[in-house]
Amino acid sequence: MAAAIEIGGLAKNFVNDAGPPVLGAVDLTIAENEFVVLLGRSGCGKTTLLNIVAGLEQPSAGIVRVDGAPVTGPGAGKGMVFQQGALFPWLTARRNIEFAAVNRGVASEAAGKLADELLALVGLAGSEHKFPFELSGGMQQRVAIARALALDPKILLMDEPFGALDEITRNEMQDELLRVWAQRRKTVVFVTHSIWEGLILADRVLVMAPRPGRFVLERRIDLPRPRRRSDPTLVALYDEIWTCLRGEP
Amino acid sequence: MRSRLAEWLVPIGALALFLALWEFAAAAGWLRPIQFPPPSKLARTAVTLAFDGFPEGITLWVHAGITIQRILAGHILAVALAVPLGLLTGSRPLLDQMTAPIVAFCRSVATLSLLPLAIVWFGTGEGAKIFLIGYGCFWVMFSSSIAAVKLVDPVLIRAARTMDADEKTIFRQVILPASLPRLLSGARVALGVGFMVIVGAEMIGTIRGLGSLIMEARTFYRTDITMVGMLCIGAFGLCVMFALARIEAWLVPWQAKQEAQQQ
Amino acid sequence: MKFAERFAGLIGVVLFLGLWEIAARFGWRNPAIMPAPSQAVWMALATIPPLTLIEHVAISLWRILAGFALGASAGVALGIAAGWYRPVALISRPFVEILRPIPPLAWIPIAIVWFGLGEPSKIFVIFLGTFFPVFTSATRGMASIHPSILRAARTMDVDGVRLLAKVAVPAAMPDIATGLRIGFGLGFGVLVAAELIAAGRGMGHLVMEARQLGQLGISVFGIFLIGLVNLVADQQLAAAIRRTVGRWHRF
Ligand SMILES: Nc1ncnc2c1ncn2[C@@H]1O[C@H](COP(=O)(O)OP(=O)(O)OP(=O)(O)O)[C@@H](O)[C@H]1O
Ligand SMILES: [Mg+2]
Repeated sequence: MAAAIEIGGLAKNFVNDAGPPVLGAVDLTIAENEFVVLLGRSGCGKTTLLNIVAGLEQPSAGIVRVDGAPVTGPGAGKGMVFQQGALFPWLTARRNIEFAAVNRGVASEAAGKLADELLALVGLAGSEHKFPFELSGGMQQRVAIARALALDPKILLMDEPFGALDEITRNEMQDELLRVWAQRRKTVVFVTHSIWEGLILADRVLVMAPRPGRFVLERRIDLPRPRRRSDPTLVALYDEIWTCLRGEP
Repeated sequence: MRSRLAEWLVPIGALALFLALWEFAAAAGWLRPIQFPPPSKLARTAVTLAFDGFPEGITLWVHAGITIQRILAGHILAVALAVPLGLLTGSRPLLDQMTAPIVAFCRSVATLSLLPLAIVWFGTGEGAKIFLIGYGCFWVMFSSSIAAVKLVDPVLIRAARTMDADEKTIFRQVILPASLPRLLSGARVALGVGFMVIVGAEMIGTIRGLGSLIMEARTFYRTDITMVGMLCIGAFGLCVMFALARIEAWLVPWQAKQEAQQQ
Repeated sequence: MKFAERFAGLIGVVLFLGLWEIAARFGWRNPAIMPAPSQAVWMALATIPPLTLIEHVAISLWRILAGFALGASAGVALGIAAGWYRPVALISRPFVEILRPIPPLAWIPIAIVWFGLGEPSKIFVIFLGTFFPVFTSATRGMASIHPSILRAARTMDVDGVRLLAKVAVPAAMPDIATGLRIGFGLGFGVLVAAELIAAGRGMGHLVMEARQLGQLGISVFGIFLIGLVNLVADQQLAAAIRRTVGRWHRF
C-alpha cells in the first residue's frame, strides 16, 4: 500500500508561546484509505497537527507530504471537517456544498447535481434549502462532511467533528460516517476526545501526550465493522488506552 | 516583538505625519486659517481656553462643569423616574403591551425637536436643557428597564420559589440583582444620549457650556476655539464613559467576569 | 396572541391620546402652552398648505438619505478594510479614536465653517452621525468572524480578495446590519437638530419656526411627524434586514 500522508520530524512552536514545543519531532506514515484516529487530552496538539497537515499552519521544522508532494498550503485534495460553526451561515445546505465544488473548478450546473448527490449520501435529501441555523447539530455536521467530500479530496481531516453532539446523535453519526467512508474510500485522519469513538471507527489509534506533543501509544484494530462495544478486544483496548491517558501528568 | 512595536509606532506615526502635513499646508498658505487653523494654533488656543477662557472669563473648565452638571441633572432625574416605571411595566405583560407602541414612538421622536415645547414650558434657562436631556435619557432607560425585567432568566425565579421565597423577596433578591447589569448598561447608553442632546441644546440661547462654546466661537470666526472645544467634548465624553464602565465593573463584578470570559 | 398584543397596543395609544386630549382641553385650557392632539393636527392642516408640508418632509428625507447613503457606504467600506488589512486598521486607529467620541451635533459649527449654511453642511453632519456607528460595527463584525469559517474557506482554496468578498464580508453582515440601524437612528437625530439650528426648510425647521410664530400646535404636529417618519423609516430598514440577513441569522 502506498503512503497517503508522510509526516517526518514535524515540530511546532508558536511565536508567542514560551513553553515546551507544542509538537516535538513527530513521525507518522498513513497508508492510502486508512482510517487513523488521534486521541489525546485537551491541548496536546491534535488540532495543531491536523492544521499543519491541512496546510493551514506552517510547521517550525520537519515536513508533511501528501501523495509524495510536500504540503505548501491548504486546498489541493485535502478536505477538512471542523468541530462546529464552520458552515457558511449565509448559504443554504446545498449552496454550502456547491460553494466547495465550484471552487474546485466544477461548473455550476454540475456542482448543483453533485450537491444533491452528496446531500442524499449523507441522508439530508429534502433539507437542501435550509440555512445552517435551521438544521440540528447533527444535520449541520452532515452538511459539513458533504461539503468536504465535494472537494473530492484524497484525504479527509476531521477535527472532533462530533464533539458537540449528544451521545445518541453521535453514535448515529459514527455509523453514518462509516457508511459514507465505505462508499467513497478516503484516507481519514480523525481527531477525538472519545476513546470509544476511536475504537469504533479506526483502523489505527494513536494516543498523543502533550508538551512536547508526541505519540505514546499506537494500536491497530483489525476487527470488521460495524463493531460492538461489548467486543472483548475493544474492551481490553479501552482499558489500555485509558490507562495510558490517565497516566499522563 | 517587532509587531508589538508597530502596533504603537504606526498609529502615532500616522497621526504625527497628518499633523505635520496640516501644519505645513497651513504655513504654505494652502489652507485658509479660518477653515483649518494649524495644529500649533490649536495648541495655543487650548492653553488660552484653559486659563483665560472664551467668552472672556469663562474657562474651558467652567464650560465643561456646566455641561456635565446639566447632563447629570437630566440623567439622574430620568433614571430615577424610568427605572421604577420600567421595572413595573416590564413585570406586567398587559401594561407592557399597552405601552409598547408609545415607547417605540417616543423613542423615535428626535429629542431636540422638543426644543420649542421645552422653551415654552421651561423658558430658555436651565430647565429646558435639563428637560431635553431628561427626555432623551428617559426613553432609553425606560426601555432598558422593561427589557431588563423581561429578560431575567425564569429559572432563577423558579429556583427562588422552590426556596419558599415570597413575591417581595423574589423581587428584591432575585429580579433586582438579575436585572442590574442591563439596568447599568442602559444607564450608560442613556448617558451617551444625554451627551448627544446637550451639545445641540446648548447651541441655542446660552453662552455657557461646551455646546455654546463651539457655536459662539463660530460666530466670532474663531474656528480654532470650535475645534479645540470639539476635541474637549470628545475627551470629556470618553472620561465620563470610562468612569461609568469602572463603576459598572465594581457594582456587578460577576457580569464583567462573564464578558471577559466570552471574549 | 399576536392579535391580542396589537389590540392592547392600540388601546394604549388611544388611552394615551385621550388622556392628553382631556388634560389639555379641561386642564390647561391653553393651546399656546399645551395644545391637545386634535388641536395640533387641526391647526397644522388648516395653516400649512399640503404641498408645503410635503416639501418639508421631502427635503428632510432627501437629506437623511443622502447623508446616510454616504456615511453607510464609507463606514462599511472603511470598516471592512480596517477589519481585514492590518495597516489600514493601524493607520485609521488614531483618527477614529480621536473623532469617534465627538457627538455628531458638535460638528455642526465646523460643518458650517467648512461648507456654509447650505445642504452640504447638513449632509456632512448626517454623514458623520452615520459613519462612526457603521464603521465600528463593521470592524467588530470582521473581528468576530469565527476562525473556523475562514479556515474552512481556505481548505477550499479560497484566499486573498475572494476570501474577503465571498466569505469574510458575508460573515460580518449581521453586525454590519445592526450598525446600519444604529447609524440611521443617529443620523436622523442629527438631521432634526441640524434643521432646527440652521435651515430654512425641513421638518426640524417647521417645528422651530412654528414656535417663533407662537403656533405651538404646529410644533406638536411637526414632532408627531418627525416621530412617525423616523419610526416608519426605521421599520422599513428593519424589514429589509429581516428579508436579507435575517433569513439566515437570528438577531
Ligand atoms: N495560535 C496559537 N498560539 C499560541 N499557542 C497556541 C496556538 N494554537 C494552539 N496553541 C497551543 O498549542 C497547544 C495545542 O493546541 P491544540 O489546539 O493543537 O490542542 P488540541 O489537542 O487540539 O486541544 P483540544 O482537544 O482542546 O482541541 C495548546 O497548549 C495551545 O495553547
Ligand atoms: Mg483541538
